[in-house]
Parts: sequence; C-alpha cells; structure tokens
Amino acid sequence: MNNTFILFYRREWQLMFRNTSTLVQPLCFFVIIALLFPFSLPAENELLRRIGGGVIWVSAVLATLLSLESMFKADFQDGALEQWLTHPRSLAVAMMGKAFAHWSATGLLLTLFSPVLCLTFRIPTEQIWVLFLGLLLGTPSLSLIGAIGAALTVTLHRGGVLLAIIILPLYIPILIFGAGMITQSAQGADIAGQVYALLAMLMLSITLAPFAIAGALRATIE
Amino acid sequence: MPDQPASLIAEGLECIRGERTLFSNLSLALREQQCLHVVGANGSGKTSLLRIISGLNRADQGEILWHNETIVNNPRFFKESTQIGHKDGIKNELTAAENLAFYQQLEGVDDESLVDQYLAQMGILRCADLTANRLSFGQRRRLAFARLLQPIYKLWILDEPFTGIDVDGRQLIENVCLDHLNNGGMIVLTNHQDLQRSLLGGHLVELQL
Repeated sequence: MNNTFILFYRREWQLMFRNTSTLVQPLCFFVIIALLFPFSLPAENELLRRIGGGVIWVSAVLATLLSLESMFKADFQDGALEQWLTHPRSLAVAMMGKAFAHWSATGLLLTLFSPVLCLTFRIPTEQIWVLFLGLLLGTPSLSLIGAIGAALTVTLHRGGVLLAIIILPLYIPILIFGAGMITQSAQGADIAGQVYALLAMLMLSITLAPFAIAGALRATIE
Repeated sequence: MPDQPASLIAEGLECIRGERTLFSNLSLALREQQCLHVVGANGSGKTSLLRIISGLNRADQGEILWHNETIVNNPRFFKESTQIGHKDGIKNELTAAENLAFYQQLEGVDDESLVDQYLAQMGILRCADLTANRLSFGQRRRLAFARLLQPIYKLWILDEPFTGIDVDGRQLIENVCLDHLNNGGMIVLTNHQDLQRSLLGGHLVELQL
C-alpha cells in the first residue's frame, strides 16, 4: 500500500464507517432543506418546477458546508495532523485523498439521491439528468475548495461561521453554472458551455486545491 | 564514541513567543546512542524546542542540521525522525491494531505479523481488537510507543513520555528507549523527574533551558 492517495482515501472510509453519522447527516440535511421549499411555497407545479434545480443546488452547497467543519477537526485534536506534517509523504496528495473521501461521502451521495428530490419538484426526466450531471461535476469542486477553508479554520474553536463566510462566496461560480444548466435546458438551449465551465473549475480545483490545503494546514498548525 | 560526528546539530537557536524570548543562542549536538534530556521549568520552552527540532515550527533564529543538511523540507530527516507530543495521533474509532497498521502503511510497510509483534512488545497484544477509545490512558501511551518500534526511525522526539503511566509501563518504555539507543538510535525528550538513575542514565546528555 504505497500510494499516498489510496492510503488516505481508504483510511477516511474506514473512519466514516465507524462513525456513520458523518455519512448520514449531510444527506439528511440535504433532503430536509430541499423539502422545506415545497412546503413553504404556493402549491403551483409550474413554480416548483422552475425553482427546483436552484433549490437542490443550494441545499447541496449547504449540506457540504455543514460537513466541512469536522473535516480536519478530529485529526487536529488527536495529533494525527502533526504526524502527517512531519512525514516525507506529500501532504498535498494525502489531503487530496481526504478531500475525495469527503466528496464520496457527501457530494457523490447527494448527487445519487438528487433524482428522488427532483420528483417532489416535478422536474421533467430530461432535466433530472441535467441536474445529475451538474451535481456530479460540481460537487467535487465544492469539497476541494471547502477543504481549504476547513484547513484555515481548523485551530479555531467556533470556526463554523468564519468557514461559511470564507467559502460560500467561492462557491458562487459553481452555483451559477450548475443551476444555470437546468434553466438553460428547460428553455431548450445547449448546455455544453456550462458543462465545460464546471469541468474547467473541477480541473482547476483538482490541480490547485491540494497545495492550498497543505499550505493552509502548515500555516495554521505552526 | 566521542570521536563520532554528531548527527543532529543545532546552532544559535532562538525562540520568541509574543514579547518573551524563551531561549536564544541555544546550540546542541547529538550523536548516535545519546539521549538528550531537555530540563526546564513549566513554560521555559521545552515543548517549543521539541517542536522546532521535529520540524513542526521554525526557529526565529538559527538552524538545525541532520547529517550536515538543514532539516527544513528535508525528506531524509522527516523519514528518519518521529515525534510523540502531548497528542498521540491515535484514532478513537479504530482498533489498536488498525491504528498501528496505518502508521506502518504510512512508512510503506504492510505486514500484520509485525503489528502483532510490536503490540506484544509493548504488552498490549490482548487489546489489539479494542477500539482506542476503550483503552486506558496507559494503554494508549503504549500504543503510541508501539509505532516507534519501526526500525526506520533513527531519532525519537518525545514530549514527557513518562507522564501518566504506571511503574511497569515506565520500566517498559525505558527498556524500549534503551534498546533504541543501543542500536545506534537517538532520543530527544523532556521529563520532569531526574533521569540519571533510570536505565537511560549512561546515555544521557542534559540541556538546561
């Protein structure tokens, strides 16, 4: 087992299965937030259909944000982070493994569940797939960018609000293109532009975020 | 072996915390088979010095050399050194064996028989399948030490290794340290009690902060 990425990815999964609340909580939060809207809005199918995609995207962003605060907390408190900081293995690659494990447990799970939510918003089938694709391409960036904020606030006692203030503005571009995809396809227009934009942001976060996470951890732990 | 060159050398170290200078112009040299005992009152900068030596923090002045090369971004130093601080790096959710196996895999080794061997050496083999949150403080401490038994580590940096463990545990850890030193290893540690009369007495070098 000599691959740093796989080693850390596997370890995160092992920890998450021992502590299942980290797996279940974001998903429950996601579903509940999204379901609040049909209850609080006028019962018009047309209205729900139009806002559904945006609501599901915002719920996904909030659910990701909720799970970010605990991302490095335990590793900081029990000293595991200090062990990684003084280890010759690449911290950036290790943290990429961690961020992808985080995505598998939040973003990927939410994406897989989103078609069910689409039904409550009466979103037509072809747009369900558009939303699914958008979430699949967008949520990994949410985890990777969010991990930078989580690393910056890991030493703070109540870093949650600060984390939200740092990270949410950075999520806006992903939100614009992700939710824009659905509006676009509802009008029968081509969504290739949005797909490329989301892909570009994904590539950017895969290549840059791990180094930012590692740098943020080194700076905050010192 | 006094003519042997020192492996770990620190020159002109200075550490400032806020307004206070904890230490300045501090130099030290450590050879194989030596154990550096950092002595000082609470708040005198023992932990800060250990964090600087382990590469977690930077000194405000001065530099540290490992085999004549600076330890900053030095993969060889990070490979050959390891530290146990106040926090032990043990995951509550994982069993003792899983915790140890991860640290072994981190060093590129994947051998379950070695995990058992290290746990047995620390006298906690019967706890191998208990999750770490069910271990007593002393057992956790022993588990943290089991990680050090990997032969890849030459330099152990230990912050108060004897705190909170019983007489047997202390004896065991002293023995493990002694073996490490006799095999050509090095230790930097802090401890509140005098160590001259311990098993490590013959290898001790004291540094007063």
